[in-house]
Amino acid sequence: MGLNKSMLVAKTDLKMAMKVNYVKYGLVATVAIGPIMILATVGLIAFTATGADEIQLIMQMMAPMLSPMLGLIAIIPASLIAANALVGEREQNTLEPLLATPLTDRELLTGKVLSSFIPSMALLLGSIVVSALGSASLLMMAGWEPYMLPDLQGLFLLLTAGPLMILAMNSIMILISGRVSRVYEAYQVSGASVMVFMIPMLLPLMTMGGDGSIDPASVLFSNIITILIAAVLFVITWALAFSRFNRDRMVSLV
Amino acid sequence: MDEVTITDLTKNFGKLVAVDHMNLNIPAGTIFGLLGPNGAGKSTTTRLLSTLLRPTEGTAVVSEFDIIKSPVQVREITGVLPEESNHTIYPSLSAYENLEYFARLYDVPEEDIPERIEELLTFMDLWERKDDKAGELSTGNRQRLALCRALLHRPKVLLLDEPTSALDPIAAKRVRELILGLSKEYKQTFFINSHNLPEVQRVCDQIAIIDEGKILLHGPTQELRSKLLAKQEFRIRLVGDIATASSIAKSMNFVEEVKEEVDSILVTIEDPTENNSSLMRELLSSGIKIVEFAEEEASLEDLYLEVIKGGDA
Repeated sequence: MGLNKSMLVAKTDLKMAMKVNYVKYGLVATVAIGPIMILATVGLIAFTATGADEIQLIMQMMAPMLSPMLGLIAIIPASLIAANALVGEREQNTLEPLLATPLTDRELLTGKVLSSFIPSMALLLGSIVVSALGSASLLMMAGWEPYMLPDLQGLFLLLTAGPLMILAMNSIMILISGRVSRVYEAYQVSGASVMVFMIPMLLPLMTMGGDGSIDPASVLFSNIITILIAAVLFVITWALAFSRFNRDRMVSLV
Repeated sequence: MDEVTITDLTKNFGKLVAVDHMNLNIPAGTIFGLLGPNGAGKSTTTRLLSTLLRPTEGTAVVSEFDIIKSPVQVREITGVLPEESNHTIYPSLSAYENLEYFARLYDVPEEDIPERIEELLTFMDLWERKDDKAGELSTGNRQRLALCRALLHRPKVLLLDEPTSALDPIAAKRVRELILGLSKEYKQTFFINSHNLPEVQRVCDQIAIIDEGKILLHGPTQELRSKLLAKQEFRIRLVGDIATASSIAKSMNFVEEVKEEVDSILVTIEDPTENNSSLMRELLSSGIKIVEFAEEEASLEDLYLEVIKGGDA
């Protein structure tokens, strides 16, 4: 398999996406929502808290919810780009000449996956760095000990389940690309998949004590559950997407 | 040697039989025209040959490669101009970038890419617009760009679906000249789908007529025209009363049919070698001045209508 060809497809898709301002700025704006929310919350706490213990408690309570939220928001672009990658090409009639080139199915699909994975990972990592450094800086500016959001548990979740979910999202798009004819239909399916990241946001809340504290073991447990679901989702959809990709169906479904 | 061999090629979409046990042999270097009404199965045939669709039954061999067993190799040696190709260009990329992308996908050597793109864009009068976004080009220019894309890797076989449909007459003429030139210089084989009969008549060496997925007729263009249109029609351009000339012609027992036009009559004559002079004498003796007495060339349109009508019957 020529990875060069796949990279060519990915680079060209990215180039095309970046030429459209509302796509370029829209993606950045969507992903920016996560860090903005985190930094606004941390800023508010940093400048209104009365003691270090209070900050510590609030941060420990918020971290399990804010980290998955960052992941959830960061994979939205992945679903949007992935939906456009094949279904969008068919909708704008550019798919047929692309399928008529000597690209193998694997080269084409890998290219399409990379075209979504690369920017999505860049946006996810960017939002993690901005949130972590920003939250630590804000606390230090207010005279408190630095605390990073996402914390280590959150980083573990985002750096494992994040890429898996982005890849799973791409596989789902490939799978449904032969079954839906319009991009908005693809968006609906991707929207449902994003909800996997709701699990680590909601599960730890069940263990919340009367003082607002959350059992760290439950956070770890919910993160592992999320990673496992993301991994299973990725493996199944990836295998199905590559084995069931059908040019005939892609061309016939107009 | 045949460049394209189609054997029992069939494609069903559910209950619809789009291509029905098609058999065709197209020699290398031929400009082949597949004629038929909308929905006859022309585009499906092109998509089957370009491996975009998989046959339900049968197969085809393009050059030496089977479309089912070696689809990647088939795609390497074919250039495709899809139906409504003016819509198949990436609108946010420039004309140059569109071609550059496909040149790399088709493995055109990196050092040849700029030269090939310039050559094709210049030929198609698009070089000045090379940096314009493809989406800002006119319909005709986009179609020309799509044609450049199909020619970039100098394919052995070109599958062109309505290649001049969105072009103005001058651009269409250039494309026809290009097809003839490429066929002559590089011996490329062309498989052209069209319902533009005059275009096919001007360009194609061989034609096939397809309707409801079936090939109704196939052969060299000239041969089919003369075989199917045995009747000989003559145009008599004259100075004088058209109605009088028409009634004189109709009175002759060897005249089968007379059609009146503004300055001439069209006469279908049995055994013209024997009878033309008699008709001419009769007209002249009635005081009609004959400006021209010439055989009408049988057109593909007549042939096409004849075959389709026969198929319906």
